[in-house]
Amino acid sequence: MSRKVSVRKSVFAADEQYAFKIREMFKDKGILMLNIIGSPGAGKTTLLEATLKSLPFKAAVIEGDVATSRDAERISKTGTPVIQINTQGGCHLEAHLVWKALQDLPMEELDIIFVENVGNLVCPAEFDLGEDYKVAVCSVPEGPDKPLKYPHLFFRAGVVLLTKVDFLEHFNFDKELFWGDVKKLNPHAAQLEVASPVGKGMDAWFEILEKWLVEKRR
Amino acid sequence: MHELSLIEALIEELEKQNELNKWGKVLKVNLKVGAMRQVIPEVMTFAFEVSTEGTFLDGAKLELDIVPIKWRCKACGNEWDEERATNGGLCEKCGSIDVELLSGMELEIESLEVEDTDVTES
Repeated sequence: MSRKVSVRKSVFAADEQYAFKIREMFKDKGILMLNIIGSPGAGKTTLLEATLKSLPFKAAVIEGDVATSRDAERISKTGTPVIQINTQGGCHLEAHLVWKALQDLPMEELDIIFVENVGNLVCPAEFDLGEDYKVAVCSVPEGPDKPLKYPHLFFRAGVVLLTKVDFLEHFNFDKELFWGDVKKLNPHAAQLEVASPVGKGMDAWFEILEKWLVEKRR
Repeated sequence: MHELSLIEALIEELEKQNELNKWGKVLKVNLKVGAMRQVIPEVMTFAFEVSTEGTFLDGAKLELDIVPIKWRCKACGNEWDEERATNGGLCEKCGSIDVELLSGMELEIESLEVEDTDVTES
């Protein structure tokens, strides 16, 4: 004999509580939090390095990696406070890990917190960290077919950044296809093309950050 | 392999719930999964089998109820279904981008089938 019991709980119920706590805290403090998602090698850390060098706001970074503190060391050189989370095999960050890391940041002094997720286009899109926006980072060498192959991330992103556009001429990258697919999945997402080490497209990126920060503090 | 991450979160949630509810032996877990979640059912059930070993869910069966992606255009009222997300944010009828997702993001533990221990012995 068996009986049916109703559960009606989200799979993420436990972690959602932390995401909720993070969102509430930053609503009060007026801090913008961004969840940066892209495959390994897409240029997430390079984008952050370039961003932090000339960003007109006070920022901190949380770095998520399976192992090593290499990204945190790179960020640290820009003089920005950074916390490294090692997921020890985990392929994505979760809100409770971010919550813990946040306790070590000088919160009162900050405008923006960048959370660089583990390099992966799939799982990080599933787990809400309490961020204001997801930032999808995709590079020219990866090819233009990523949006339709990994629709979940692009569907939920507030901005899609195509990185390494200074390499466009070396790759058979169909930009029209790429942005067309992004638009189909998410017509509301801002679209940016950057080559962050040479500063290309960074002004438009800063404009978006400023707009979001102003909206957050309204 | 994001199925494994989802299953780990599912087990964690059910373990927490079980501490409160003391369900006993679980025979089946009914899970609602939105098609936007890009879950491969065979990979999901395999991940469940492997990850529940040694937990209170050991031996339970995972039953998936896949919820289709459903859109509604706020401009013209057009509603449509998709098996996979390809043309999500654009209304095919009027071209508006003012489109809302009605379903397809679910990841909800709907119900469980547990062994009935309330059988009174004669």
